[in-house]
Amino acid sequence: MRKVSVLLAALFVIAGLVIATNGRALEGEVPTAPAIGATVDNFTLPDVDGNEKALSSLKGKNGTVLIFISVQCPVSNAYNERMEKLAQNYKAKGIAVIGINSNSTEDAAAVKDHASAKGLTFTILKDTGNKVADKLGATRTPEAYFLDASNKLVYHGRIDNNQNASLIEANDLRNAIDASLAGKPVEKTEAKAFGCSIKRA
Amino acid sequence: MRFSRAILLLVVSLTLVSFAAPAQNKKRGRVAKPRPPLPVVAAIDTENLKTLLKESRQKPLLVNFWATWCDPCRDEFPDLVKIDSDYRPHSLDFVTVSLDDFTDIKTSVPKFLGTMNARMPAYLLNANDPEPAINAVDPKWQGDLPATFLYNDKGEVVYKHFGRVNATELRAAIDKLVK
Repeated sequence: MRKVSVLLAALFVIAGLVIATNGRALEGEVPTAPAIGATVDNFTLPDVDGNEKALSSLKGKNGTVLIFISVQCPVSNAYNERMEKLAQNYKAKGIAVIGINSNSTEDAAAVKDHASAKGLTFTILKDTGNKVADKLGATRTPEAYFLDASNKLVYHGRIDNNQNASLIEANDLRNAIDASLAGKPVEKTEAKAFGCSIKRA
Repeated sequence: MRFSRAILLLVVSLTLVSFAAPAQNKKRGRVAKPRPPLPVVAAIDTENLKTLLKESRQKPLLVNFWATWCDPCRDEFPDLVKIDSDYRPHSLDFVTVSLDDFTDIKTSVPKFLGTMNARMPAYLLNANDPEPAINAVDPKWQGDLPATFLYNDKGEVVYKHFGRVNATELRAAIDKLVK
């Protein structure tokens, strides 16, 4: 009888290990993104000049857009002009746009040079060790998060449906910001697109 | 004197021609060698992609989503080509789905596959809005590339990986299905 219970216990342990292992392989390693409506806690990261900046000091009066971007990713680069325009268009409306570079393959100097070459004037933070990418479950570039005035996540995902500006049919990020500014519910709170994976440390 | 100069000119000309002729032949020989044709890349829309992934099949299926603009996708491709040649005889179907711009279907995509000597059936997603395709493949996938999915013969995902694949890990997962 004792032998049987030991055997059963061993079987449970093995089954547990098998399930855990399979689960890990299937779930991937990146933490999942916060749910829509969840509050994003304050964080601090250095900008491209090495000055520590807190989300609380950069956030817009009416909301904040965080966009994970890249120096080398062609998809992210296809959006440079659109991201800059977004920052310019919404500055007067109290919305701040903040770029975050979490790629371990791109250092602060490269991010600074790239921003200057591409005319990106919004603040870009360097997320060494991808701690903010992990906190937000960001996996690709470009990937956007729109937080309302109280840092609640209102929208997560793509900027629009196509990296080719002539094929845009859904301006999902702008639609979310506009709805939020108008005090209306955001119809589409999440949207996906293909992009380069973030090169984690 | 004039005659001897003419003879000299003739000798020099013949010598030059005799050197040039084999070189030309060699050149012709190189041009004549047929180049292998570029792999054919077929367009696939979201509905057909869903059918491809969900249809019942006799064999396990490995699907790799990639793009020519994606560095880790290009880096992992030699591993994937090797896996295809090693496992295709052991009843593994392997298809690749490119997320490049549709205009690249006859240019950079087949060119890259050709340089990789890739033999697996190749598709390019023809969808202006990629979201329905991403969600159809995996609702938890954000669209980051590369992404690799292994389906068993019942059409269930038994292994998936986002980012550059670990060839040893992937081979171990395939071994469970084909051996």
